[in-house]
Amino acid sequence: MSSPDLRAELCGISLANPLVNGSGTLDALAAGTLGLGAFVTKTVTLHPREGNPPVRIAETPAGMVNSIGLANPGLDAFCADHLPRLGDLGVPVVASVGGWSPSEYATAVARIGAHPAVAAIELNVSCPNVESGCISIGTDAGETRALVERCRAETDVPVLAKLSPSVSDVAAIATAAAEGGAHGLVLINTVRGIAIDRDRLEPLLGGGGGLSGPAIKPVALHAIFHARAATGLPIIGMGGVASAQDCIEFLAAGATLVGIGTSLFADPGLPERALPELGGLMRRHGVEAIGDLTGIAHPQVSSSTRA
Amino acid sequence: MPPPTRSLEVAGVEAVGAYTLLRLRDAGADHGAPGQFFMLRAEPAPADAYLPRAVSAAWAGDGEIAFLLDVRGPGTRALAAARTVSVLGPLGHGFDLAPGPSILVGGGIGAAVLPWLRRQLAPLGEVRTVLGFRSDAQAVCAGLVDPGATVVLDPVLVTEPLARLLPAEATVYACGPDRMLEAVAALCAEHDVPCQLAMEAAMACGFGACYGCAVRIDGTWKRLCIEGPVVEAARVLA
Repeated sequence: MSSPDLRAELCGISLANPLVNGSGTLDALAAGTLGLGAFVTKTVTLHPREGNPPVRIAETPAGMVNSIGLANPGLDAFCADHLPRLGDLGVPVVASVGGWSPSEYATAVARIGAHPAVAAIELNVSCPNVESGCISIGTDAGETRALVERCRAETDVPVLAKLSPSVSDVAAIATAAAEGGAHGLVLINTVRGIAIDRDRLEPLLGGGGGLSGPAIKPVALHAIFHARAATGLPIIGMGGVASAQDCIEFLAAGATLVGIGTSLFADPGLPERALPELGGLMRRHGVEAIGDLTGIAHPQVSSSTRA
Repeated sequence: MPPPTRSLEVAGVEAVGAYTLLRLRDAGADHGAPGQFFMLRAEPAPADAYLPRAVSAAWAGDGEIAFLLDVRGPGTRALAAARTVSVLGPLGHGFDLAPGPSILVGGGIGAAVLPWLRRQLAPLGEVRTVLGFRSDAQAVCAGLVDPGATVVLDPVLVTEPLARLLPAEATVYACGPDRMLEAVAALCAEHDVPCQLAMEAAMACGFGACYGCAVRIDGTWKRLCIEGPVVEAARVLA
């Protein structure tokens, strides 16, 4: 058998391998791309944001809760200073965009999508760490559909909707994003969580934050499985990925690419270590191309009866 | 690019009063400079401490790197019991060693970063040390820093002996709790004495990825792992 083919494709974008980072979990300009097949930026908003005051992170069992607050340099500085350098990384760049109104999203999508360094745009409609507004749009099917539709009209690059698992029916939101014309989905953003200081018995991060790490892996697999079943769209699957074995489970659940987030913090060598292991697992499962793994968990379980 | 994570064997673990000295075998590696930090995690990774801990070295050399730990939770407890430790670093910016006399100021476990710094400053000029602790058990580690150090115990603040040394033609290097650092920075600013602060913040990664270690620097929230952990005091007072 020839050596397994790790090359991947998402919405017409070619990647050397199926691993990417989760938005906001890697500063490639500071740390490089760590062997990933594509780089996803931290979410950019129209205006610069300092982010939330500390404490911003709290360790929890098999993971952490964060409340960073979308710290970012704003659209102007991002386009002028960051995008030109991101174009030199040598891997496709997915720009993550956030906003407080559909017109803020549309403005950012139009400008960022026109930059030659950008291969695709992620619409972050699911950040748990900012006050409500358009950023919580991902909890409403109608608003999600309308936002995706509006942003698609602003750009020629693929538009991906990043969705939250903290909704009553993630398949319904995924379907709405598909109806709005999303080329793909990114699942999952962090799960709403809270950590209590063990001595003072007060919340560590104000009103709470987003839980990530291996603790959320089954939640992520569930969301990916049912979003894939409901829409058939390509998915960047993430949420607690910490090993090559996790990667193939996410692919089997329906992911086309696999995102690593919190595990990069504790283990920045993970992508380069996982890729050869992924090849070995492909051989064991008799698969020659990584894309052949996507969704193979589906035929065995009826999503309509086991949700 | 962060340096590769290394797996280092534990050479020894011993109590130093209230604290724990962890020595790792590390022949021939780049240890960086005093004030830089390392991300440490026990191997295998403990189930109840998912993230590594950011710790500056107490000293390095002769095939070893040593860390003084304040064992308080699952992460440090696992480090103190480990046979091998996963080590990422050196990371961040350490102390900028200035020629001439020095004054070292340490509070609590902040003293842990000073032994190595003192060794490197000694050839550059006279080094005086003032340390503050909450208890006699904590103060045992003063001997590792400087046998001639002036030591004060709670409720006496370390700024008391420091104030007696100022003004001085010297550079002040300080590490300790935020409120101590603020007081030391203010005192040095009052006397126009250059001052460098080794600061601390909760970090998940140590290399700029997580944005967790926000500290007020230059009047805005910045990542301590990138800007520091050693920062000119004037940038924190700004």
